[in-house]
Amino acid sequence: MERIDLKKEKTKKYLEDRGISHITAVPDQQKLDRYKNLEYYKDILYQCGKCGTCRTAYHEEGWPHVCPSGEFGKFEAYYLGGKNLLSWALTTGRLKWTENMAKIFYQCSVCMACMQQCQIPEIHHYAGEWLMAMREEAVQKGFGPMPEQQKYTDHVTKEYNPYMEKHKDRTNWITSNIKETPDAKLAYFVGCTTSYREQNVAIATAEILNSLGVEFRVLKDERCCGSPVYMTGQTDKAKEIAETNINTFKNEGIERIITSCAGCYRTLKEIYPKKFGFEHGIEVLHLPEFLLEKLNNDELTFNNKVNMKITYHDPCHIGRHMGIYEPPREVLTKIPGIELIEMARNRHNAWCCGSGGGVRSAFKDLSIFAANERIEEAKETTASAIVSCCPFCLNQFKTNIDNNEIQAFDLSELVRKAI
Amino acid sequence: MNNSKVVLELEQIVGDKYVSDEPEIQFLYHYDFITAEPEGKCDIAIMPESAEEVQEIVKIANKYKIPVVPWVSGINFGSIATPRKGGIVVDLRRMNRVLEVNEDDMYAVVEGGITWADLKGYLDKHHPNFRAGITYSPPGTGVIPSCLCYGMFDLGMIGGTGAEFINGLEVILPTGELIRTGSCSLSKYWFGRQPLPDISGLFIGWEGTTGIVTKAAIKLWPKLPYRTDFLPIASRMEDGAPMMIKLSKAGLGIVDLCMINMGWTQSLQCFDQKMVATDPVALGIPDFVAVITTQAYTEEQHKAQCEAIKSICIEHNIEPFTAEVQIRNFPKNMWGLIHHLFPSTGGQLPIHFWTCWDFSRGGGGEWIGCYVSIRNIVKYYNLAREVCLKYDKTPQFYSRIMFGGHYCVARINVNFNKNDPEDIKKTRQILKEIHDAVQQLDGVIMYKPPKWVVQYYKDKTLPATNKLIENVKKFLDPNNIMNPGQGIGED
Repeated sequence: MERIDLKKEKTKKYLEDRGISHITAVPDQQKLDRYKNLEYYKDILYQCGKCGTCRTAYHEEGWPHVCPSGEFGKFEAYYLGGKNLLSWALTTGRLKWTENMAKIFYQCSVCMACMQQCQIPEIHHYAGEWLMAMREEAVQKGFGPMPEQQKYTDHVTKEYNPYMEKHKDRTNWITSNIKETPDAKLAYFVGCTTSYREQNVAIATAEILNSLGVEFRVLKDERCCGSPVYMTGQTDKAKEIAETNINTFKNEGIERIITSCAGCYRTLKEIYPKKFGFEHGIEVLHLPEFLLEKLNNDELTFNNKVNMKITYHDPCHIGRHMGIYEPPREVLTKIPGIELIEMARNRHNAWCCGSGGGVRSAFKDLSIFAANERIEEAKETTASAIVSCCPFCLNQFKTNIDNNEIQAFDLSELVRKAI
Repeated sequence: MNNSKVVLELEQIVGDKYVSDEPEIQFLYHYDFITAEPEGKCDIAIMPESAEEVQEIVKIANKYKIPVVPWVSGINFGSIATPRKGGIVVDLRRMNRVLEVNEDDMYAVVEGGITWADLKGYLDKHHPNFRAGITYSPPGTGVIPSCLCYGMFDLGMIGGTGAEFINGLEVILPTGELIRTGSCSLSKYWFGRQPLPDISGLFIGWEGTTGIVTKAAIKLWPKLPYRTDFLPIASRMEDGAPMMIKLSKAGLGIVDLCMINMGWTQSLQCFDQKMVATDPVALGIPDFVAVITTQAYTEEQHKAQCEAIKSICIEHNIEPFTAEVQIRNFPKNMWGLIHHLFPSTGGQLPIHFWTCWDFSRGGGGEWIGCYVSIRNIVKYYNLAREVCLKYDKTPQFYSRIMFGGHYCVARINVNFNKNDPEDIKKTRQILKEIHDAVQQLDGVIMYKPPKWVVQYYKDKTLPATNKLIENVKKFLDPNNIMNPGQGIGED
């Protein structure tokens, strides 16, 4: 007769094979296609009873809240349950598109933490699809994107970045010590945030590649991948951007892309072929994946100790959107001196930093609220730094950390120190 | 009603972020999105943060004689949080804090809008040796509404209904005054309703028509170190029920005594309606599954309790398998969900488990759920089962023996496709027929009743009792603004 260890039970984390996350637990769930329009998903929406399961990580100790949009907006409309039923109302003519309806759907970073919790299989697996389809329809009906998002989209059209920067300045970060190989088949796709706002990440990545002796180049005409345009429902415009980029890659003879940006990674690897139908055939790797491959092949060794207690923040674009949780952790924990402490909400339950989905530009209060919540959670771990592998998350943390109470780094910066 | 004028006044109380009369917000409060009951109408939704703000809202409602509907998650199978006559829905979700935990007297003082997720999360983190009772409802549902409406928990066998878990209340009356009931009305301790006149009863079972509860003390229970969950299976309800009744009178550290039929079991496994035998009995599939949970402080005590439980099961020709053993007999692809149920199989203690809506994949569910004399459990099931089969619906039965075996809950769930008007119509008919059928038994009283059932009981109740209810309601709510249209009092 085994005694129940209350302490152990208290600290029990998400259990593999428990709950609906284990896909085969429901024998007859419908297999649906992804990236379809609202019409395609309309027969799923009404299954929601706004039961509220989407609001908390019920597998985890403390049942922490997971939805930045809902916790900030408070009304049911801002949680997944509300959004499911509002989508249903629209598809069945119970409600019409209004500015407020569009605002509700845009006031969300599409981090998809909500759908991880839902036990209704189709909602669990596909809710993100109609959250995006609603944005797409908002644009078609003239209610989206939000004005701030329109402004950056216009700039992407003109200067190929959403930061109001000049295209000609995009590669200013490249210093003379960085060695590029002009005819390399491998491109380092830097991305807009890294090129203009987090240049340390670009420098660290390039130096890592140099130290590994990897032949690479940065495309002289690299442009926005289209993620901020796509994520705000502007599918046609994003598709045009994708087509231009793919032509550039092909014309330059690129066969492999490494990117240090989680958003670019997902867009190039997933959205281009699966949403836009552009099967570009180019291998796309996120930097931690590439580094892990090198570490496992003994082509990368860490010679320097980096004595630091860190916590790792899962970026939504590689975590919930792409299912990559472990490679960054494996790379970080192989660095001598690094002690990794997890935040209470991690992996598929990670709290979003609040920058994605067009939120940072259009809904600043929500964005700051989400960032502060995550920063506080990171501080609670007693780590001295919060580490991520997305320049947008990094920039969000740096902007919102007060009085250097905790530091923020990109994984590439720690790797460079360790080499 | 001039919404914009009222909205402006309400904004003065809570700020413009937390008041809305926009159609998208109204829509999400106008119906519960689960039952087959009629839709209602929400004019304004507001989210106060304190009892004082609730008082101010109620005062404005009285000024304009507008209905106010207290609301936490709006999910119950009686549709009693659906605003029947429009007005202001007071969504209490910003009032979701645990204010105090008293480990000596074992209670938590919580705000009126707290959800099960909030409460369990807080206790796990800060008081891991204590627990609240937990319903099988979703984690986003409200603790206080559940207690006020006689909801039941996995500790029902030792603690009774949710109402019996209430030690005291803080309530904003329909006229705007703040009152407290129980020991907290005259001391800082919320240890109980005894020995004062028990005016908590003015708010329990009244379907939110006599006030808005802003604070309550809820009983907590110690987590004991030894626990076993038995999961015996028998052919028919008739075979298993006598065993459960005997167990309910045997003590044995039993905290939960629950029996379900195969339809309900299959709903837990998330089967789609089309994958489930409408009548498992006709196919020779066992139709009785029991959950017997026993706890103890010492190993010796626990061993003795388990042995006694086993011998009662065997006496009734039922194998006393534990949950751990039974689950191995389930197909492996169902383990994920089943594992959630019991600590012995990896679940948390306690858990929420909500999959009934998956069952029909139509998102709709409603029950005829009643408090019943224990002697009528089997009869109740058979009558309800017959109606379900007549309409080609899988009967889903669930019963729990309560409070040391003094009474029980019996309910039959009907799932339906809420996007299909024909199915909704059929479901209403089924519910009506089940209700009529089980009323043939004496001592069957529905909890969380929709309006049509409230009316049925009014017609049966002693006239003087009805009069007293009407007078109490009128005294507390002279303008009839508090959740009107639910059928309580003269309504």
